[in-house]
Amino acid sequence: MKVLVPVKRVIDYNVKVRVKADGSGVDLANVKMSMNPFDEIAVEEAIRLREAGKAEEVVVVSIGVKQAQETLRTALAMGADRAILVVAAEDVHQDIEPLAVAKILKGVIDEEQPGLVIAGKQAIDNDMNATGQMLAALLGWSQAAFASKVEIDGDHAVVTREVDGGLQTIKVKMPAIVTADLRLNEPRYASLPNIMKAKKKPLDEKTADDYGVDVSLRLEIVKTAEPPVRQAGVKVADVDELVAKLKEAGAI
Amino acid sequence: MTTPVLDDLLSLTKAAIPAVEALLATATDRLREAVTEGSKVSPDLTEQHQAAAHALAWLATYTEALRQMQTWATRLDAAGGFGEIEALLHQIAFGEYLAQIAGGIPMSQGEIARPQDMFLTQGDQRAMMSDAVMTLTQNGNSPAARARLVTLMQDNAGHATFGATGLDDELEMIRDQFRRYADEKVVPHAHDWHLKDELIPMEILEDLSEMGVFGLTIPEDFGGLGLSKASMVVVSEELSRGYIGVGSLGTRSEIAAELILSGGTDEQKQAWLPRIASGEVLPTAVFTEPNTGSDLGSLRTRAAKVGDAYEITGNKTWITHAARANVMTLMARTDPETDNYRGLSMFLAEKQPGTEGDPFPTPGMTGGEIEVLGYRGMKEYELGFDGFKVPAGNLLGGVEGQGFKQLMQTFESARIQTAARAIGVAQSALEVGMQYALDRKQFGKPLIAFPRVADKLAMMAVEIMVARQLTYFAAWEKDHDRRCDLEAGMAKLIGARVAWAAADNALQIHGGNGFALEYQISRILCDARILNIFEGAAEIQATVIARRLLG
Repeated sequence: MKVLVPVKRVIDYNVKVRVKADGSGVDLANVKMSMNPFDEIAVEEAIRLREAGKAEEVVVVSIGVKQAQETLRTALAMGADRAILVVAAEDVHQDIEPLAVAKILKGVIDEEQPGLVIAGKQAIDNDMNATGQMLAALLGWSQAAFASKVEIDGDHAVVTREVDGGLQTIKVKMPAIVTADLRLNEPRYASLPNIMKAKKKPLDEKTADDYGVDVSLRLEIVKTAEPPVRQAGVKVADVDELVAKLKEAGAI
Repeated sequence: MTTPVLDDLLSLTKAAIPAVEALLATATDRLREAVTEGSKVSPDLTEQHQAAAHALAWLATYTEALRQMQTWATRLDAAGGFGEIEALLHQIAFGEYLAQIAGGIPMSQGEIARPQDMFLTQGDQRAMMSDAVMTLTQNGNSPAARARLVTLMQDNAGHATFGATGLDDELEMIRDQFRRYADEKVVPHAHDWHLKDELIPMEILEDLSEMGVFGLTIPEDFGGLGLSKASMVVVSEELSRGYIGVGSLGTRSEIAAELILSGGTDEQKQAWLPRIASGEVLPTAVFTEPNTGSDLGSLRTRAAKVGDAYEITGNKTWITHAARANVMTLMARTDPETDNYRGLSMFLAEKQPGTEGDPFPTPGMTGGEIEVLGYRGMKEYELGFDGFKVPAGNLLGGVEGQGFKQLMQTFESARIQTAARAIGVAQSALEVGMQYALDRKQFGKPLIAFPRVADKLAMMAVEIMVARQLTYFAAWEKDHDRRCDLEAGMAKLIGARVAWAAADNALQIHGGNGFALEYQISRILCDARILNIFEGAAEIQATVIARRLLG
């Protein structure tokens, strides 16, 4: 079985995000970018499936600017076998919306015919949480989102999902789309030998046009704003004073 | 916005270098004249003029540092990566180092190398003051430049270093992975290991084995990765930034591997290198004795051949990670008729790793722990050998009397690696100091808003970049099979001073809190102190550099 993992290049989770002066988005010029952490978990899971003999090949795909090849190299250094870069934007500030990403991925999947797609549940930059679900709809495949455990059972995947009430286990027929949640695994560090091997692994470059997908934006960003600065609090001496203050503030 | 970066900076700094090179040439000639007897440089006279010789070594180190900064800046500029932060680092480095060359280079806090110490006249000093040098000494390291640098440093947008290193993507990917590892697995525990004086947990060693640290530069034919010294530098930097103990775990493997590679027989290479590379064998370096530190050639531990084995008798000290190690690269005297380096031989002496209750179970050896200020995590020991047996086949290279020469071959690598450790420690001091300066408020402002606090951080960033470029250069030379003992010594010399200054200044920023054991900067200060002592003390480095310069 082949496992396909889409990975997104996003602003590093350690970076303090800065909003552009015109409010059109987040400033990404000269900012450290990394692989979306949920995608890292997805790559790890795919590699573990291959190591367990449940999969033969792990293919990673990134859609975006040319610099996303650094993200793909990181995935290859973790242990993925092959990478596909779909260049769909020139400016690092241009986002590709989930539907366009899902359509391009569908094109890639039609060519690659993987038995399983593991994606991050969402990207930490715009938190859309939509690509995996849209992709399942476009392909007519089963989907298991927010996975915290994945087991392959013949031609089915048994997936434990993190839902509001607790854990839900479902069995989906493959091919299927699984989206990775935080507790699925702890991604490995790329070892030195694997970093060395990464540069020799194949990385194909395509464009959005190759898949006939129009990536122009359907959503209009009205405004991007920084979160309000936290106001200083006050110390209270005891519960009575706390209750009094809360009443004063109209909170209770 | 106006920037304090000087116009046409790269041309200016380029033009300054020949003036410094000329001064160095003059100083070298003058000193050589003073220490030459007949047609030869006299060791006695050189020692009499030790202050001058060491001043010359520092001047040469500064000259090389400026050359390497220029190379770095030019290369970045050509690739479109010479931004404002890099320009400020470059400009301040030139401004400050040129001013120090003219006025005095601190060899230590209390010893300043002044031009007149090197027999340079006021005329020589005036000759150095070309227009470019004058502009840079006057305006290079300006308060505005430092302030702007610190503003940019606060807005570093997640980058691992302050300013681009100039290394390629692959090396930066290595940095990224090891930084993440250090941040997640080392930094949260390092201070605790230090305070409790514990050995670094075996899980860390297992992780590093898996990541390939111990076989980094060992050739692939011998089970290693065959990577460059440059990659060794990056790994050492990042692990030492987490904790000097972790960044030093690979040091003894590196020394042992270098010894075996350059001096071992084919059989010894096959037998040892793959096991060192995998981390299965942990080596320790057994050279120093209670009465022989820097003067290693006079060591007295005996190795007497009895049948087909050598019996080792004598005392060794400052043996790092000794209890846990399974093999000792041990230097002892095989020729009792000698009292110098000629009678020394190197052994690959196997021992059983000890436990906490019984640290040295192998017959013929005993050991005791030396309690230390910093650089803990592997522990230091003194060892006693009494008829300790080493099979004759474990004599490195199979020929007696080669020990000192074999050890000297490892100095380049060991010094490059130590320079990298110094950079890592300095970087951690800078980051910890900067965080405190941002968090701590006094007089209604964060400390970083006060120029004297910000200046300390600016100078740390500048000098770390200088030490980095000199170290990368030494590694580059080593990777291209060029002799680099001079450059490696310079990198180690400056790296150690930079690390100590960074730790001291970062502690100063912490005020009283820095003096509390609770704060990790107290540990970083203790850790930084060793860098000027081990792998060739600052004074030894300066001697070695001066000897090479005087020829």
